[in-house]
This record gives sequence, C-alpha cells and structure tokens, in this order.
Amino acid sequence: MVESNNPDKVLAAIETEIQKTKEHVKREPPKFPNPFKRGEIKPYLRYRKTQLFKRILAIKLVHWTLASIETCLINVLKMGPLPQHVSFIMDGNRRYAKSMGLPIKRGHEAGAVTLLELLSACKKLGIQVISAYAFSIENFNRPQEEVDTLTRLLAEKLDEVARRAQDHKNELYGLRLRVVGERSLISKHLDDKITRVERMTEEGQEMTLYICFPYTSRNDIYHAIYNSAEKCKYFDESTSDITAASLTKEMFFNEYSDKCDLLIRTSGHTRLSDYMLWQVHQDGVIEFSNTLWPDFSFLEFFIILLRWSFFTTMVRAVRNQLSVRRHVFHFAKSHFFPTKKNYANLDTLPDPPQAISVIERS
Amino acid sequence: MSKVREGISESKMGNSDTKYHDRSGPHESPFFANNKNAAKPSLQNLKAASEGALFMAPDNVAIQEKLSKKAGALSANSSRLEFVFYKVFLCLFFLTYACFRYFQYTVNKIKIHVLNIAYSPSNTPQLIRQDVLKLSKLPKRLAAILEIKSEGDVGGGVSGLINDGSDLVAWSVSAGIKHLTLYDFDGYLKKNVHEFREGVHHKLSKYYDPSNVPKFAVRVPQWNSVYYNSSSTEFNGTSTKKVAIEISLLSNRDGRETIVDLTRTMAELCTNNEMKLADVTMKLIDSELLQLVGPEPDLLLYFGPRLDLQGFPPWHIRLTEFYWEEDNDQVTYSVFIRGLKTYSACKVNVGK
Repeated sequence: MVESNNPDKVLAAIETEIQKTKEHVKREPPKFPNPFKRGEIKPYLRYRKTQLFKRILAIKLVHWTLASIETCLINVLKMGPLPQHVSFIMDGNRRYAKSMGLPIKRGHEAGAVTLLELLSACKKLGIQVISAYAFSIENFNRPQEEVDTLTRLLAEKLDEVARRAQDHKNELYGLRLRVVGERSLISKHLDDKITRVERMTEEGQEMTLYICFPYTSRNDIYHAIYNSAEKCKYFDESTSDITAASLTKEMFFNEYSDKCDLLIRTSGHTRLSDYMLWQVHQDGVIEFSNTLWPDFSFLEFFIILLRWSFFTTMVRAVRNQLSVRRHVFHFAKSHFFPTKKNYANLDTLPDPPQAISVIERS
Repeated sequence: MSKVREGISESKMGNSDTKYHDRSGPHESPFFANNKNAAKPSLQNLKAASEGALFMAPDNVAIQEKLSKKAGALSANSSRLEFVFYKVFLCLFFLTYACFRYFQYTVNKIKIHVLNIAYSPSNTPQLIRQDVLKLSKLPKRLAAILEIKSEGDVGGGVSGLINDGSDLVAWSVSAGIKHLTLYDFDGYLKKNVHEFREGVHHKLSKYYDPSNVPKFAVRVPQWNSVYYNSSSTEFNGTSTKKVAIEISLLSNRDGRETIVDLTRTMAELCTNNEMKLADVTMKLIDSELLQLVGPEPDLLLYFGPRLDLQGFPPWHIRLTEFYWEEDNDQVTYSVFIRGLKTYSACKVNVGK
C-alpha cells in the first residue's frame, strides 16, 4: 500500500504501475491479408483507414484547429440547459475489434480511450455526474481471458484517471472517482486498489465519475431493499419511513440515484441490459446510437446533447410560460412610459362651497 | 414466502385508493409540456426554444456564479460580451436544428403514412397471421405503453384509450401472442376495467365470429383480480374454452411504489423476527415482484414520438427490447408488426 499523505510518492508509485500494466499490452498491427480472401481484406482496409485518420489528426495544425472548434462548441452548449447525470452503455468494443481484424483486447482499449476523451469534454461542459457501464455481473460468463483483460484494463485506467485527477494542469483535475457495483465479486487485490484510488480522489468537487464494475441494476435495487430492511431491524428506524426517496438514497449512485437525465447506448441495440432501470424509467431520455462505442466521437455526442438541450429548453420555456413579448412590454411600460397615477390627498383639496339645506331654511 | 405476500396484498389493498392515489400528480414527460408535443415542429415551439435559449439562465454552475457576481472591472465586461455571443450562437444552433427537425419530421410522417397504407389488417385475423408467419420468432410476452389523449382530440379520452387497448388485444390474439401487458400512467384502463372488457369483446367480435369470440382474461395485478369475457357471454357455455390471451393492466402504481411496499413489508417482517434478514435475496424479490406485477415482457411497444418509459415498472424492463416509431403518435398496426419484425431479428446474449 502507498501512503496517501505524500502526493509525490503516490504519483511516482502510480507511474510505475502504469509502466507495469503497459508491458502486458503489446500493440501489433494485423498481418497483411491474403489478397485472395475477401473476408480478410475488408477489416485490414478499415484498420489502415483509421490509422491514416489518426496520423492526420496527429498533425499539430489539424489537432489545434479541431480542438479550438471543440472548445467553441462546448462553450455554446454551456449556455443552455445541461443534463446533470449522463450515462453511457459502452457497447460495441468487440465488434469494433472484429471489424478491424484485431484481437478483442484492442477493442476494449480503444473503448477506454473514447471514454476518457468524452470525459474531458463533459468536464469542460460542467456536467456533474458521469456514469459508465464497464462490466455487468453477467459478463463473468465470458471467457476467462477476456474477463482478465477487462479487469486489467480497469486497473490501468483507474491509475491513469487518478493521476490526472490529481494533476492541477490536467483537464480532469478535480474529478471524484467511484467504482460501484457488486464489489464482493472482484479480487481482493483489485478491490484494495479501487479503495485506494477512491480515497485519493475523494476531495474532487467538480465532477463525479461512477464506473459500474460489476454492476446490474437489479442488484442495485436489491441492495437498496436489503439495506433498508437492515436499518429497520438493527438501527430502529420506523418501517413507515421507507419511501421511494429513502429507498433511492440507499442505491449505489448516492444522491444521483434518482434520475439519469441522459442515457446513451451505442451499437444499435434498443434495450437497457439491466442498467439504470430505476434511474431512467421515469422521465429519463434514452438515446440509441448505431455507432460502435470506440467510433463514438465528440461530434456525435455534441449532436445528442444539442438535441437534448433543444427539447429541454423548449419544454422548460413552455412550462415556465416564458414570453419575451410580455417581458419586453412590461419592461418598456415601467421604464419608458411611467404612467403612475397621482393619488390625491383629501386635505389638500380646496374647500367646497357652503352646504345649505332647503328644508331647514323655513 | 407466503407471509410476505400476505403482508403486501394487505398494504396494497389498503392503500390502493386512498393514500397513493394521485400522489405523483400528472406525468411530466421530457418531450411534452402543457399537453403540447415538443417533438412536433411548430412555430410556437420554435419560438419557445429560441426565446428559452436566449433568456433562460444556463445550468452550468461556474457560469451561474460568474453571472451572479457583480464585479465592475473590464474583465467582467468582456465576459458579458462573450456570454451574449455564445448565447446568440446557441440560439442559431437551435434554429438550424429546428429546420433540420422540420424536414426529419416531414419525412418520418410520410414514412408512417406509407407504412400505414402498406400494413392494414382491415379486421381480418388471417392477414395478421400471414404477416406473422414470415417471422422467425415471436415475443412470448408483449407490453405496450398507451397514452391518454385530450378529450377533444380524435380518439381521445378514456374511450379512445380503451379502443387503442382493444385494438392491440385483437392484433395480439391474431398474431398468436399469449400475454399482453398494457400500461398507462394514470391507470385509466384499470379503473374502467369493465368498459375495457366490453370494448375488447366488441373488438374481437369484429375480427372473429361474434357467436364464438376467443376467450380472454383481464388481470389487474394491483387488486389481484381476474376478469374473463364480458359478463353477457359467460352464460353461453363458452367458459370451458381455453384462454386465448391474458391481458395485464398496469399503471404507475405498479412501478416504484410496489417495490417500496415490498421493502416495507420485508422490513416489518424482519423487525418482528418473522423472517431472517438473510432470506431477503434477489430470488425472493424477483419471485415476489413476479407475483405482484407479472413477468418481464420481451418486447415493449411505445406509440409516442420519442421513447419515454413513463414510469413502467423498473424491475421488469431488464432485457426488454424497446420499439417505437420516431414521430408517430397513433396506435397503429404498422408499428405493432414492425416491432415484432425487429424483435424477430434481434439477438440477445445475456452478458456473453
């Protein structure tokens, strides 16, 4: 264990761990295809195409231009309503790898990179909570090798995020990281590491990132029910105090458990796959995209956010009965044409003529 | 765990009409405001969006803080200018998007019209069965979210809702689906279950021989009651027939509130030592909710313009496939059959 009171030491320790995990992952381009097999050529060409795009993006001028456009778009979006809690179902990593003829592990890595990129965009936007479905409890049914890859990848990325969250200059500075789910299912070593990283980033105020690993929504609801029952039994809480709100508080996402404003699922399936059931079934917006997760770009995310922002603005404006015409009218009336009535005081009026009764005269 | 069930049914029966009724108020959809469909492009909506973009305060915390500060220096002035600049840009973006939306909406509407012409069952079960026979698989349980339209519209009010519901029943019977779950937020179908039975009976007698209408069962899980074909036909000796379709009527009450009830009952039993805390397992909760609400549907159809689950029981949408037609606002056969088609093509691999 690393002592958490010395930040330099912590950073150094993390650096070495990153080096260690990187050694596990060797990058090899796919072999040159057999030109007589059609099935091999297509993935290879796709791989080369993405490589080419990467090269072009790496040119400084191109990179700088794109980055400034991105910042500009983010600044524009900032001016409108923003979702408080955005969630991703990162689906399509394996299909991505297959489509390029790469090992599955590379697909997952590319997915992790996409998440990190979107994370910094969200941070700039000022979205408060991000959650990502990294691993389902059902995913333990996958081949052991893949489960190991995913676990190792999580460990590696945790370190990276933790390091960036500590670094003042980095765009992810001030991030709070939480790993939620059925933690009893993961190995002791990884669990310790997660606890350490969580403690390191505890002070982060600006954004909270929930990594769901290994998570299912039913499991989440079950835990909430169990904890509520336990509280009533051992902590003398009254059963009549159990409400939807109190149950929601027991869930994994703490105060953000009630609602997920925007859930994005990539790669075309139109189901929730046991994720965010409680959070999304009332008034949550679910967006399904046909892109595979590693291909999910900032532009697509921007369009989804713009759409969300558009509808939310509209609904809010109608609900609040916002009317500029009325506002302007009132403003003009009160500022430019002051038609304030002059109230008279009875005492200041001149005296009326003398009152003489006809009857009393005689 | 019969104790749990007893406790729940008590609390459900006791509270069903008094305590929780109208508790949550009207449903606030992210796409509807004051009964106006925000997904439908109109000048009014456009005006609302652009005005909102210009004059409503942004959600971003940092910007809000900056705005609330009234520092007078040069920097504040320039940031004001920047603020106005980006606000105008946002408005422009919205206007561009609205134009795009207009075209998208028109295209979607035309598509829906064409599909409605292409798929028309015209009250003949044979046609529906023929359509279904082309599919490789059918959902075992189908669910649909229905919406009540305002009284003045065509097909509005409770009678419109009943008509939509009975249409779906007729299509499902003809397609050969044995379980149908109908969900409406306020539970109008539940409250008017007898009218609904009449409606279904009437609709089925249009599709089938009126003297030999398929038998159906209407289940209201909240009150734990089952009704069969309308009362007038029960004397005709048809009651021995096999039930062709089972219809469950759900409302918002069966969602979160039922899970809360379950929690409360379990907590009570645990505190009174009638049940061990270790007995509270996922399996138990699942079986209880299966009893209280019903099984999980395989396919969920939504007949609105954009997917909005409206508080459908959260435990029951775990692997459910959703289908809705963009910008559609009617309960039509084309959505139904296209939903079944999509379902037959989809592949579910739990976790793997």
